[in-house]
Amino acid sequence: MTTESVTMAGNKRTEEISREVMRIQAGVLAMVCAVLGGLLLFSMTVWLVVKDGPGAGPHLSLLGNYFIGYSVSWGGSVIGLFYGALTGGIVGWVIGTIYNLVVGLRK
Amino acid sequence: MSSRALVIGAGPAGLTSAYELAKLGVSSTIIEADEQVGGLSRTVNYKGYRFDIGGHRFFSKVPLINELWREMLSEDFLLRPRLSRIHYRGHFFDYPLKAANALAGLGPIEAFLVMLSYSKAKLFPHSEETNLEQWVSNRFGQRLYEIFFKTYTEKVWGIPCNEISADWAAQRIKNLSLKEAIRNALLGAGKSADGEVITTLIEQFHYPRLGPGMMWECCKELLAEKGNETIHGIKVDKIRHRKGRVESVIGHRSNGERVEFDADQFISSMPLRRLIQSLDPLPPDEVLAAANSLRYRDYLTVVLMAKREHVFPDNWIYIHSPEVKMGRIQNYKNWSPEMVPDPSRSSLGLEYFLWQKDEEWTWSNDRLIDLGIKECAQIGLVEPDEVEDGTVVRMKKAYPVYDHHYQERVDIIRNYLDTLPNLQTIGRNGLHRYNNQDHSMLTGVYAARNIVGEKNDVWAVNTEQDYHEEVRSSETETVSTGYTKTMGDRAVPMPIEPDEAEQIIQTAFAKLDSVALGVAFGVVAGVGLFLATAILLLKGGEFVGPRLGLLRNFLPSYEVTWPGALLGLVEGGLIGFALGFFVASLRNWSMMAYAHLLKRRAETQAAGNVLD
Repeated sequence: MTTESVTMAGNKRTEEISREVMRIQAGVLAMVCAVLGGLLLFSMTVWLVVKDGPGAGPHLSLLGNYFIGYSVSWGGSVIGLFYGALTGGIVGWVIGTIYNLVVGLRK
Repeated sequence: MSSRALVIGAGPAGLTSAYELAKLGVSSTIIEADEQVGGLSRTVNYKGYRFDIGGHRFFSKVPLINELWREMLSEDFLLRPRLSRIHYRGHFFDYPLKAANALAGLGPIEAFLVMLSYSKAKLFPHSEETNLEQWVSNRFGQRLYEIFFKTYTEKVWGIPCNEISADWAAQRIKNLSLKEAIRNALLGAGKSADGEVITTLIEQFHYPRLGPGMMWECCKELLAEKGNETIHGIKVDKIRHRKGRVESVIGHRSNGERVEFDADQFISSMPLRRLIQSLDPLPPDEVLAAANSLRYRDYLTVVLMAKREHVFPDNWIYIHSPEVKMGRIQNYKNWSPEMVPDPSRSSLGLEYFLWQKDEEWTWSNDRLIDLGIKECAQIGLVEPDEVEDGTVVRMKKAYPVYDHHYQERVDIIRNYLDTLPNLQTIGRNGLHRYNNQDHSMLTGVYAARNIVGEKNDVWAVNTEQDYHEEVRSSETETVSTGYTKTMGDRAVPMPIEPDEAEQIIQTAFAKLDSVALGVAFGVVAGVGLFLATAILLLKGGEFVGPRLGLLRNFLPSYEVTWPGALLGLVEGGLIGFALGFFVASLRNWSMMAYAHLLKRRAETQAAGNVLD
């Protein structure tokens, strides 16, 4: 069986249930990724500060190269929350928008 | 005698076809060998005690059939509770089978062995499911199969389960579609196409006040009112055909008088074997041989009248116990209280499945009644001195037998019958298909509609679930085979408008486009890595990005330089694409796996009903 026929068989099985191709709501995905990104960077920073005290997390603090003002500290965790949310939001929105664009082109 | 259409057989299929023809403005004559209408669905009246030939629950997922039933019988339809159990070695088990009940009834040691056997079936199932034994044991394990399926099924069919085609069971489950399984799992057992809740009807069913024969007597009267005569006592001898058309049917009355019926169109519900044997001239030897090889299981009911108000609460009990010959026992009073003339009495129908060549088939009624009384006492249902009276009803060719070769033979016959376009064969025996009453009726409806120009495939009824159910939303549609599927009366094309539940399933199970997600992830990863590299390069310093440069361990030749940034764009893009493609595929695969799990569960649940 060729790769193409395998894919077609897979598609046929999927289409037995639904013939629709999923669309992503870019705004919603952006919000979800923003929440996740912000909370992730915030919690990682807080965890290192609580565990090892000030000056902890030499590797994580390298994010300061991209996120101006970010450091592994209590204040940095709040700034990280903002940057994480911003980056997550952008990534989510870009993924959703490009995905929908490609789906539209392939239709 | 001459009429536009001649219908052979006044059972559910034949009478329904005549009824549908009448609605379409086509007159017909119905000929019937018996003195009563209803065929296998007739109700026999013996001294005021009414009883069925088997039990007939009026339950259908086909909206048209439900409409027809209501149309014919209107207020004489009762809604009855359903209760049936299995009797095995002195114990009663719930039917449909419930795991906890079955294991509790079998005792700890047997239950343990059953579990072991079930595990084995799940780990090492039969690689193919060509016969009933393989089909059932793959689902329930060999041990449970032997306890709850083998003895009863072999009593009914008279042949070993490994000689019965798996089609028989699969037809009862009918390859439940993935979508249907999801629908049932997410929305409960759901609704039939006409909105009736199926779960309710599994626990309850409709039943004519005076038994199923009442329905067919009513149908006969309705037909007579419209000038369509039902002639009883006609046995068909020959079906004359010439130049690819049937011209007449020749038969004889019980007094030997020869009669001939001409018509333009012929619909037959007589057994397929007998139909082929009656053709004049006879078909080619291959077709004749195929017909002669079809087998039918015969059946007799010993009816006992007992002077007891309540014998057991079930509509019927499956008797799996190998020590008695009876296969099933009906309590007609529990189907409808009006099936007995005196509420203080009960009538029980002991069903014996036989071949006509079996010795018991030729036994006198008295001897059979004695056997019934003895077996009833043996399994502890009724004491001999409680039985006041009894009678016996024999029914030849009650069940078409599904042996390994039946389908090939039916195909040969079908191909030959296609050469006689004005002859259609319908019903359980007419199609050699183990149809219930509703499906037999549907074949009658389709045959009638074919006469007025539709192209329905009667052979497809009860073979494909989709044949009946894909038309939930549209009354008529033309499918790729060219057949027009019609479920309602309006023969106009209608757009398919998925219902709300359908829409939810469509959306929830919509496929993620793997390529599109791959591209999206690829762009984000590639551009992200390019930007990360570029920012460090723009910031400059003595050692630029020593740690980001470690990515070269994973991205060949990557480094924090401007060419490296471009390489990172490409390599990050490729890895991102692969990741996105994988994520989307995994998600789609998971949804399919979940759907298959739901389907498997639903099939196992449905397989518990396979004795019906």
